[in-house]
Amino acid sequence: MAFMDNRQFITALEKAGEIVRIKQEVDWELEAAAIARRAAETQGPACLFEKIKDYPPGYRIFSGGVATYRRLAIAMGLSPDTPVKDIYAEWERRDAHPIKPVVVKDAPCKENIMRGNDIDIFKLPAPLIHDGDGGRYIGTWDIVVCQDPDRDWTNWGTYRFMLHTRKSLVGAPLPLSHLAMILTQKYVPTNTPMPTALVIGADQISTLVGGAGYRIGENEAEFAGALCQEPIELVKCETSNLLVPAHAEIVIEGDILPSQSQIEGPFGEYTGYRTRPGGDGLILQVKAVTYRNSPIVTMVPLGVPVDEATVSGAITMAMTYKRRLKKAGLPITDVSLPLEGACHVVVVGVKRGGIEIAEQIRTFLTSRRVPITKIIVVDEDVDVFNFGEVLHALGVKCHSVRGVVPKEHPGGGNPLTPCYTVEERAKHLGATALWDCTWPKDLPAEETPVKGSFNTIYPDAIKQKVKDNWHRYGFK
Amino acid sequence: MKKEYVTWLMSGEELPEGREIGISIRDLTPGQHKYSGRNVKAIVSRSPKKLPDGDVLWIRSGTGILRSQPWAIKITADLGEFLSRQPFDYASLLGKKE
Repeated sequence: MAFMDNRQFITALEKAGEIVRIKQEVDWELEAAAIARRAAETQGPACLFEKIKDYPPGYRIFSGGVATYRRLAIAMGLSPDTPVKDIYAEWERRDAHPIKPVVVKDAPCKENIMRGNDIDIFKLPAPLIHDGDGGRYIGTWDIVVCQDPDRDWTNWGTYRFMLHTRKSLVGAPLPLSHLAMILTQKYVPTNTPMPTALVIGADQISTLVGGAGYRIGENEAEFAGALCQEPIELVKCETSNLLVPAHAEIVIEGDILPSQSQIEGPFGEYTGYRTRPGGDGLILQVKAVTYRNSPIVTMVPLGVPVDEATVSGAITMAMTYKRRLKKAGLPITDVSLPLEGACHVVVVGVKRGGIEIAEQIRTFLTSRRVPITKIIVVDEDVDVFNFGEVLHALGVKCHSVRGVVPKEHPGGGNPLTPCYTVEERAKHLGATALWDCTWPKDLPAEETPVKGSFNTIYPDAIKQKVKDNWHRYGFK
Repeated sequence: MKKEYVTWLMSGEELPEGREIGISIRDLTPGQHKYSGRNVKAIVSRSPKKLPDGDVLWIRSGTGILRSQPWAIKITADLGEFLSRQPFDYASLLGKKE
């Protein structure tokens, strides 16, 4: 089993030397996030801020939990030295076996409850993350839970939410999100508020899964169980029948109002830029807040890669795309999203190449939403997790005219992507560039260029002799 | 002592001065409730001298860049906690396939 909650995970990070406990008082207004941002940009440890200005002793902020693959490995119960490719393989192996959650009656997240006139979400140390953001974002590393009332589907999603008034938040689920789909189809027709829970500080795996692209109708809690290798414990909300992770730090229960809004944002995002002005956001009107003693607010100081948003986006998007392409019967080897591409660049390896296969790959990767902008297709001898190899293929195998194919995607574009104009973002007019770095499928074997690597341009006997005598030659 | 507020403006947008307008602002009073939101009716002016009994209004661009000089704001009434408009174009979303 991985970790039941963040507190166990923090203990594990401490044993691995992967966290700094900051005991001096820090300001929730910019200072905590600036520290976490700098730590992310220097590939530093996770941060636990143990004393927050304006807040009672024990109220804490935690950042950087899975901001590196080493810490993602720890969260999965693996050695921090696990190679990235093996982390992905293990995730894929576990993900194939969903495990239904169990419902418990008592839960740590119920240790304290605010109801009625006692509700004041400003009593939680929500950070102001970037100078100029539209508000204080308590929801950056979160799970937003809602339910389709007509089928057995409880949807988890990761959406940003900021504090508005003492009893309300405003958030930015995108119009094409599953939450927006459930709201639009099931609650808007009758103008009924949608019960929703904003879960902060669930275990790291559950939060990762919350942001992953599982399909409509699939319950993320079962996949969280799969990745933890045992059932996730859920508990019923106080004010609705929604079930939420029992070991979360904070659960903000309420209703999303279909016919009202509030200006939300602007906010510096995972793309590495604060691109979009504030706009009409969804209101979560709070009906109860439950939280653990000495609650920990989880915070992602989103910005330039690499941070936990990049790592989580990379692995979950790669898994989603790989499933989709394999289901389509395409001859792929593997899929990766290089961290520095901020979830906008995807690399797909194929067993046999050619522009037709590359175009089919793009078709399936852009069938609904289009959060990516660059698709690089490589032959199977290129390790998609080795960006040096990918760049080599891009440099020498992608024809700069025949091999680069742009395409627009009306209605699917990501409004957070900085390269789009204001008009393109408003219309969700996306675009991708396909970079075909494969040999044409009908290239005869004797005409195919030979790769000049140790493994490919020497006879087996020579390679074996060199390996056998490596130390004898004087190499260490 | 004058209170301080902040608001954000879209590119090219300007606030009409000298007459009552509706505006969304965030309260910059130090403490736990800093950045709490309000929708208010107010009169604003780029010249604090024209609103001597007004408070301070900082203005940021749509992408959060702060203007160097604050305006003045005189709040005349609180409006509702939220805006009476839909967050999405539901009609166009209903036309999209799953």
